[in-house]
Amino acid sequence: MAPSTQFELAQPPNDAISSLVFAPEAPTRLLVSSWDKNVYLYDTHTDAEGGGHGTLLQTFEHRAPVMDVCFGADDNEAFSAGMDWTVRRIDLESGDQTVVSKHAAPVRRVVYSREHSLLITASWDNTLHVLNPSNTSLTALTITLPGKPHAMAASPSKVIIAMTSRLVHIYDLAALGASLASGSGAAPEPWQQRESSLKFLTRAVAAMPSDAGYATSSIEGRVAVEWFDASAESQARKYAFKCHRQTGTAEDGAADVVFPVNALAFHPAFGTFASGGGDATVALWDAAAKRRMKIYQKFPDSVAALAFSSDGKYLAIGVCPGFETGMEDYSGEGRTKVVIRELGETEAKGKGAK
Amino acid sequence: MGKKKRKQPNVEELLSRPWCYYCERDFEDLKLLISHQKAKHFKCDRCGRRLNTAGGLSVHMNQVHKESLSLVENALPNRQGLEVEIFGMEGIPEDVVQQHNQRLIQNFYQAQADRYAATGNPPAGQNGNGPVKKIKIETAEEIKKRLAEHRARVKNGGLAANPTPPMGVPDGQSPGQSNSPFPPPGGQYPPGYPAQGVPGFTPPPQYPQGGFNYPPGNLPSRPGGNLPAPTGLPPRPGQPGFPSTVDELVAGASRQGDEIEELIRRAELGIPPPKKPDSATPTAGEAAAGEEKKGKKEKDKNVKMIYDDELSPEERMALMPKYAYVPTAA
Repeated sequence: MAPSTQFELAQPPNDAISSLVFAPEAPTRLLVSSWDKNVYLYDTHTDAEGGGHGTLLQTFEHRAPVMDVCFGADDNEAFSAGMDWTVRRIDLESGDQTVVSKHAAPVRRVVYSREHSLLITASWDNTLHVLNPSNTSLTALTITLPGKPHAMAASPSKVIIAMTSRLVHIYDLAALGASLASGSGAAPEPWQQRESSLKFLTRAVAAMPSDAGYATSSIEGRVAVEWFDASAESQARKYAFKCHRQTGTAEDGAADVVFPVNALAFHPAFGTFASGGGDATVALWDAAAKRRMKIYQKFPDSVAALAFSSDGKYLAIGVCPGFETGMEDYSGEGRTKVVIRELGETEAKGKGAK
Repeated sequence: MGKKKRKQPNVEELLSRPWCYYCERDFEDLKLLISHQKAKHFKCDRCGRRLNTAGGLSVHMNQVHKESLSLVENALPNRQGLEVEIFGMEGIPEDVVQQHNQRLIQNFYQAQADRYAATGNPPAGQNGNGPVKKIKIETAEEIKKRLAEHRARVKNGGLAANPTPPMGVPDGQSPGQSNSPFPPPGGQYPPGYPAQGVPGFTPPPQYPQGGFNYPPGNLPSRPGGNLPAPTGLPPRPGQPGFPSTVDELVAGASRQGDEIEELIRRAELGIPPPKKPDSATPTAGEAAAGEEKKGKKEKDKNVKMIYDDELSPEERMALMPKYAYVPTAA
């Protein structure tokens, strides 16, 4: 049977997806964190009982909903950020969990930089914790943030933290590593402090694998692309655009419906990126040419998370109902899916700047 | 000058352009439309093969890739269905055709009105589609009064490169005349006429300055002297779509004469007017905005946000009892 372009993973999480991430080496190893208090490890391309797609290799139960997950130094190490204020290291082979850091509020995001062996966690207690999980003798750095962090992403040399009040801080990973190694506990100043180009609450951040810049998205159907380089001409290249919206029809008063852009992910090689929104669509964008390359057919529910595999061949899409303003109750039960899309050879390749 | 001026397409030309049912884009000819459809809507995203119809693609996907096609790619939200068999212009439901034509006509008149408001050029190549807006007809008294006002203004402004042209056109053109905003060069017009009829240009030096020097104030009265409609201008049945009163135009012209000249120059050089929402190549931003191209102006106000809150959705969810975490020790 010819491989299909797109399929749903068998045995999806029972409740909303908070994050998903592919392994740094194996392109079919996928971790999914969920509000149902579990982290799921899948092999996306083995057939479970012949008919199904993908195998659920293991689940790792937590005490509270899991807000974020990332891979560690290799394909067998993962870190999870929990509603229970803890950051855990998960040994994916043995299933052992160890608490590596504890915040004073739920931990929203966790990123690991393989280049610098640094684990950075961002919590709603308005702090970042920076530690080296392989060298626990070093005292972890605690950095106080001016706002509540909502999104974080690491490029090869920087980490970008997007907070409330449109604050964006960028730290240099090497500087963080040096401070950590010095053992003084003194946190370095942010490498850059910026105001978000978007007027509304930041929803997601993704860093360019090329280390040139990053993209942010907001709850108000907009994505901005910015560059690290602080020179005037580089800053002049930054731009923002509207997306994930629906034109209103005459019946409903012609109001345009604006959806939050929940997820962003850069392709590992092509400099293109995907955005996923509350309108249940995923779009592929060419960051250099400033063009939309593709918009995929609507999914049954809001897109909560996105990830490209390390080889750029697959795009994992976390689909579950979106949380909307004024909702009293919420449940992703039965409607949560993980869709794996196999990208054609040039599907995510941009045409280059014009 | 000397450049060929770009003619604005008329309604018939616009309506006769082939267009794509799936995305409402229009094309120069049917061949282009068909290759557009094959590339954008009927292309297999698995192997890149371009089929002729959605049905063809569906069969292809089924047989070659064992998949089923549910939607047409890149189509407008309400046009993604596979039920209609489209090939080029064939198979488009009648009501959709009607809608499309209506939209075109509406856009056309809107664009025309905008253009007129910006340049003062009357619509080109119009032949009696019926006026969409009533034309204000002035009595002789009103014209005289306006003339007096205008004289005063010009004296104060003191600019000889006259800002009158926009007015010159409606005033100067009588019903039976050519539809072109620019009268053909030739002897049948008094020497002063072309300078007045070609809006926005200072009189070229070769026109005799002696007998016909151009005190701007004289200009409006000229047609009255030379042309068969001396006073109260007759209704102009053949010229629909004047957007604003002549008075407004005069006022506008004296305020922004330079801008207008620039616009006219652009028009004559064949630079297309700024808006034609369908054909502009969008940047990434506009590509996204393309989904909501209509009503660009009011859009910012007329918007419904699915999520609008200071707290993030996750924080809201975290407040719900079933997700909330109560620290045991604390």
